[in-house]
Amino acid sequence: MSDTKRTALSRREFLKAGVAASAAIGLGGAARFTPRVYGQARATKKMIVLGLDGMDPVLTRRWIDEGRLPAFRKILEAGGDFRPLGTSLPPQTPVAWSNFITGMDPGGHGIFDFFNRDPKTYVPVFSATETSGAAKTIRIGKTVIPLSGGQIRNLRKGQAFWQLLEEAGIPSTVFKMPSNYPPVASKQRTLAGMNTPDLKGSYGIFSYYTNEATTITQEAGGGGRVHDVFVVGNRVAAELPGPANSFRAGAPEATIPFQVFIDPSNAAAKIVIQGHEFVLKEREWSNWQHVHFNLIPTQSVHGICLFYLKEVRPKFKLYVSPIHMDPARPALPISTPESYSRELEKRFGPFFTKGLPADTSALDNGVLDEEEFLTLDAMVYEESMAMLEYELGRLDEGLLFFYFSNADQRQHMFWRLVDPGHPAYDAKLAARFGDVIARTYVEMDRALDLALKKADKDTVVLVLSDHGFNSFRRGFNLNTWLLREGYHRLKRPWKQEESAYFDNTDWSKTRAYGMGLNSLFINERGREGEGLVAPGADKDNLVREIARKLEAATDPLTGEHPVLRAFIAKDTYRGKNLEMAPDIVLGFNRGYRISWQSPLGGFPKEVVEDNAQKWSGDHMSAPDVLPGIAFTNRKFTAESPFLYDLTASVLDVFGAEKPKDMIGRNVLE
Amino acid sequence: MSIVNLVFGGIVGAVLWPFRGLSPWFGLTVVSLLTALLMLEVYKHTSNQAAIRRAKDLIKAHLLEMRLYKDNMRVTLAAQGAILKANLAYMAANLKPLAVMIVPLVLILAQLSLWYDRAPLRPGEEALVKAGLEAAADPVSLGLELETPPGLEITAPAVRIPDLHQVVWRVKALAPGTGRIVLRTGDRTVEKSVVVGGGPMAKVSALASRGSLWKQVLYPGEAPLPAGTSVRSVEILYPAKSLTAFGVSVHWLVAYLILSIVFGFAFKGVFKVEI
Repeated sequence: MSDTKRTALSRREFLKAGVAASAAIGLGGAARFTPRVYGQARATKKMIVLGLDGMDPVLTRRWIDEGRLPAFRKILEAGGDFRPLGTSLPPQTPVAWSNFITGMDPGGHGIFDFFNRDPKTYVPVFSATETSGAAKTIRIGKTVIPLSGGQIRNLRKGQAFWQLLEEAGIPSTVFKMPSNYPPVASKQRTLAGMNTPDLKGSYGIFSYYTNEATTITQEAGGGGRVHDVFVVGNRVAAELPGPANSFRAGAPEATIPFQVFIDPSNAAAKIVIQGHEFVLKEREWSNWQHVHFNLIPTQSVHGICLFYLKEVRPKFKLYVSPIHMDPARPALPISTPESYSRELEKRFGPFFTKGLPADTSALDNGVLDEEEFLTLDAMVYEESMAMLEYELGRLDEGLLFFYFSNADQRQHMFWRLVDPGHPAYDAKLAARFGDVIARTYVEMDRALDLALKKADKDTVVLVLSDHGFNSFRRGFNLNTWLLREGYHRLKRPWKQEESAYFDNTDWSKTRAYGMGLNSLFINERGREGEGLVAPGADKDNLVREIARKLEAATDPLTGEHPVLRAFIAKDTYRGKNLEMAPDIVLGFNRGYRISWQSPLGGFPKEVVEDNAQKWSGDHMSAPDVLPGIAFTNRKFTAESPFLYDLTASVLDVFGAEKPKDMIGRNVLE
Repeated sequence: MSIVNLVFGGIVGAVLWPFRGLSPWFGLTVVSLLTALLMLEVYKHTSNQAAIRRAKDLIKAHLLEMRLYKDNMRVTLAAQGAILKANLAYMAANLKPLAVMIVPLVLILAQLSLWYDRAPLRPGEEALVKAGLEAAADPVSLGLELETPPGLEITAPAVRIPDLHQVVWRVKALAPGTGRIVLRTGDRTVEKSVVVGGGPMAKVSALASRGSLWKQVLYPGEAPLPAGTSVRSVEILYPAKSLTAFGVSVHWLVAYLILSIVFGFAFKGVFKVEI
């Protein structure tokens, strides 16, 4: 305000301003006057970190050179820098982002794979989170009353970098960081990312209502469910499945009935659910629909979902997305502070809260086709862009980390259409969707452009991906290989191909088993429930023998080595949290990955088999094969920085102290 | 009924007119205050004030009796019986004023619902238009068509539901303004108002219907639909309007009743009314 205007402020205007300020405080505006730092120091710098999951350095370089990624080129032309970024071992998303979150490797943070196992029972468990119900309950009739709350634990060890920044008084916003569910305790604004479950507690289960015979492949922790329905008098009655109702004996699934009224000749229908009505045309997506599942009269959980009317006739086909937690009323913690998700909901309306919102399973199973999958993922992208713009707009100081999942998810599903050598390559589809990956990189470039526009000369911009990508042409059946080599024994060998979850394993004669996507465990005495191999020299010799043989194994079809390197965990990892570590970590060769059935204890017939699925790109190779990307508007001081180095670099930008157990080092000039 | 709706609509509209550009709370507070004053006056003249005072005095006296003789079971039980009897007398004395008050109150509430129950469509927002048909009408063969005013477009084909005697369209608001949608079957038409945009105190009529007197009372925003067509009602599913106080969502009806009661008790002394 100019001096003249300030002088001209009348007494009446002064009083009005005072009243307005008072009203602002009374009506919730008080937060604006709250100090925005939490420690002693105040941030004097700004840093924007974009986490672009799965962006590959080779593809990025190629498309920069072709002029398709102008923002990336701009950052280099303005004196910035680019390096392939050393990824984690194994280069799986939860492992890699945990490296970045903590500045440690899996030996420090304890996340070694998507899956781990309960060594006593050999039952697979999620490695990143642990959920337990109420410890004590009482039962009255069919009602179960919990006497204590359940628990969800984030199993990652070590401090997250935003917690360290908080201690140093640097405000941060961390948006959808993978492997941060439930979000670790912090006063910083954080929204949970990958691993955040849907309302059923899974990684995402869609519902598909149809009168066409349909089967879908179930996935560990997610997937979908087909509901056979009948169209009677142009009306369909169905139920939407929700969470298990732990307030009822036997924890039956809570459901919501809904009805679909189809027009007799128009390709449209009215859907009525919980008193709410909406109309969809054929091949049209709904807006977010609010649903609530009543568990007992005083308890209900709230969710949001999308409906897609795929077809009304001749067959009826209705897809309902996994039910996301309602960010306005989340059943489980998804943000810190808890009000952050509510704040975003108030501004943007309902939004995707499940960890990875793209429904790869629906595409894999043919429930959604390529175009429909991309439409859904475009919603995810546009929503992320709007929220990025919002967060950039209020970034006055400190750190903003913002995550995009689109490049990772689309490369998983569309790599087959850029690789003519892939078993699932389809020339017709390739002509239509062969440029999806390139277009996705262009979209990531738009996100960077947005960030660069916000960045002033003092703002450090860092762009990273957790790993690169390559084709997944052939699947390696680790457990079948162990069986053939005599390291694993079955009780009924003639039922080998029917085995799952090691239900056919003779543990008394088994020396090794594969569990998870890159992990091999020795059946160690004292550690495993029915351990056989003595710890110490026996085990060490066995580990070396298996590792050597794995690296020597060849694919009879191609003559290539499916396993490029078999890493011996205790010689590879640093840190003290190795108790749940696998004994060998498989680093696959280009074009190879673990098969679909082996990770959960299956034994298909062949050791190596074609991957004919739409999930056709992957990143479980040896880390050297698949680095991620690191771009900055500064200079890197290291030729080959690693993910954990960027953590130390973030801390160094703000002058925050690096913990002793952090193995990363600053690599920014 | 139309005249009554017109009169009450005019009064409520006139009261709310000065507050159109302000938060809905201002208008609701004033209407609640005026309602409380009106009801106090009605109550004063229609109730037996002496009987009410006597019943209340008796209740107080017997409560005191129970406290004083709490060790005496016989006296306590007798006092409880007397309180019950006095309560019944109190309620009986209230029947007449309540019967009188309920008429203007329902009319006021119906008028207020036009202002507070539904929010107008925002440009870009979609809503359903539902036509309810006579039981004998077949929505498929009827050939009912929807015509929209400028500022509104149809975004999905009609969904005709014989089981529910219903035809549903989805419309999208394009630009602020008011207008009328027209439902045409052959050469017969019915119309209904539609509102897009407007301030926080825009008046929204969700339903136009014909039939019972009760519907005309409850939905006073529009003239009854003409007879001679198969269309019994036309409804636009406007979004619900929300009132918030200190971040908490409050239904307007709850807010109105609480405010009216508070004002009623606050001013009963001024009006010398025994409630």
